Amino acid sequence: MKNRCLLFFILLTLPALAQADRTWILDQSTLTYHMSHPMHEVDGVSHAAKGKGVCHAGQCDFLLAVPVKSFDSGDSNRDLHMLQVTRGAQFPIVSVRLMLPETRLALPTLYCDLEVQFAGNTAHYSHVPFTQVVEGVTHHITGTVPSTLTDFKIDPPSFLTVPIKNEIPIRVDVIWHPS
Amino acid sequence: MAILRHLSVHRVRVLIGWLGLIVLSENSVPLVAQAVGRGGAGLVAKSDSGSVYLPDAPVPAGLAGRDSGSPAGETGFSSSAQDAQQQDTQQPDKQQPKRGEQTPQTTPGAPSLGDLGLTPEQTHGDTQQQALLDKRTEMLKIHQRLGLITIIPVAAACISSAGAPPQRNNPGSTTSRDVHVALGGVAVSMYAATAYFAIRAPRVSNEPARGGIKLHKYLIYIHAPGMILTPILGAMAFNQANNGEKIHGAASAHSAVAWATAGSYVAAIVAVSWPIHLKF
Repeated sequence: MKNRCLLFFILLTLPALAQADRTWILDQSTLTYHMSHPMHEVDGVSHAAKGKGVCHAGQCDFLLAVPVKSFDSGDSNRDLHMLQVTRGAQFPIVSVRLMLPETRLALPTLYCDLEVQFAGNTAHYSHVPFTQVVEGVTHHITGTVPSTLTDFKIDPPSFLTVPIKNEIPIRVDVIWHPS
Repeated sequence: MAILRHLSVHRVRVLIGWLGLIVLSENSVPLVAQAVGRGGAGLVAKSDSGSVYLPDAPVPAGLAGRDSGSPAGETGFSSSAQDAQQQDTQQPDKQQPKRGEQTPQTTPGAPSLGDLGLTPEQTHGDTQQQALLDKRTEMLKIHQRLGLITIIPVAAACISSAGAPPQRNNPGSTTSRDVHVALGGVAVSMYAATAYFAIRAPRVSNEPARGGIKLHKYLIYIHAPGMILTPILGAMAFNQANNGEKIHGAASAHSAVAWATAGSYVAAIVAVSWPIHLKF
């Protein structure tokens, strides 16, 4: 009888264990946008991203958010103009969501489908490759999101009547660890 | 009796076994937001039939592009306008997020902005601040345009200055001097208009200036007093020349002040554009 009860409880406990949530925390981040103009090449960097991942039932949801105003291009006037053009006061956060199967989290190359909210618009990028290096418990992930101004309906700012290039790739360099 | 007892024990075992299997299999039932047998990372927002629709599930690019029939699918990207349009047609009752608020789409159990430690003050937009930024940009654009156009009368005044001093062979002629005065007047007026738009542009940040704008602002301390002094000294020189006197006193500095002003003005334009990487 004891054995049966034990078996019964094990069977009941197993699904609960299988559902146990696993959380991922963003340790460090460097996000860099690149802007190109015939007269200027500009990189805006932010280290202010915050991120969290929650794995549940074999599926992991990740969220990464960064304030628009935290990007620093080395010129305060340009940064304020960027804030205006991207409607950064009205939509102050850039957020990136992605889902990954938990089984793929340790792969050296992660192909992610990203949902990016920026400037009041949402864009989806499918199959974006990210390189991953696992060192102990930390996961160092690097890659580039091929974003463009038109993805977010941003009017290209111009200098001397020449608009900047539509492509604004965002280089991602993040370190995660499971909690 | 023994057979009956054996049968009941067997039934209990089978029952426990089935219960366990049912409980275990509960978790492997695919969620509506997941598609079975689809490649990629498995992000699906709606079923192929189109009748089942999850409002907050993300739409994979290929699917969104295919459904809308737009080239977005080919580029691997779909804009929210398409998504919103689709959602509008399929979900007329769904409330649109208020303008100025960031309400990220979430799947159940997925982390939210609040989970990241971001406060509502940090995530909610400020439409007044945005309006201020818009006004600032608009005024600085005019400042930039006027500033560039002002180079023309400044350059013309500098060039025409060659004919401004009294001519030895024709000391009574004042035409060249008048032209120089007129061009100088236009340059100063346009400079004043340019400065007005920079001064009146709303201030949106109290942080110290960084980058090229810093030098651009420092140079104001040279060309702004220069633009005031130049016409004053010019007027003095003009009167002395018209009276047949040799230019003397402070008026003799008119030319040097004007050239320093013009130089610092051009430097200010270059500074705000620095660093320049020509790439055509």
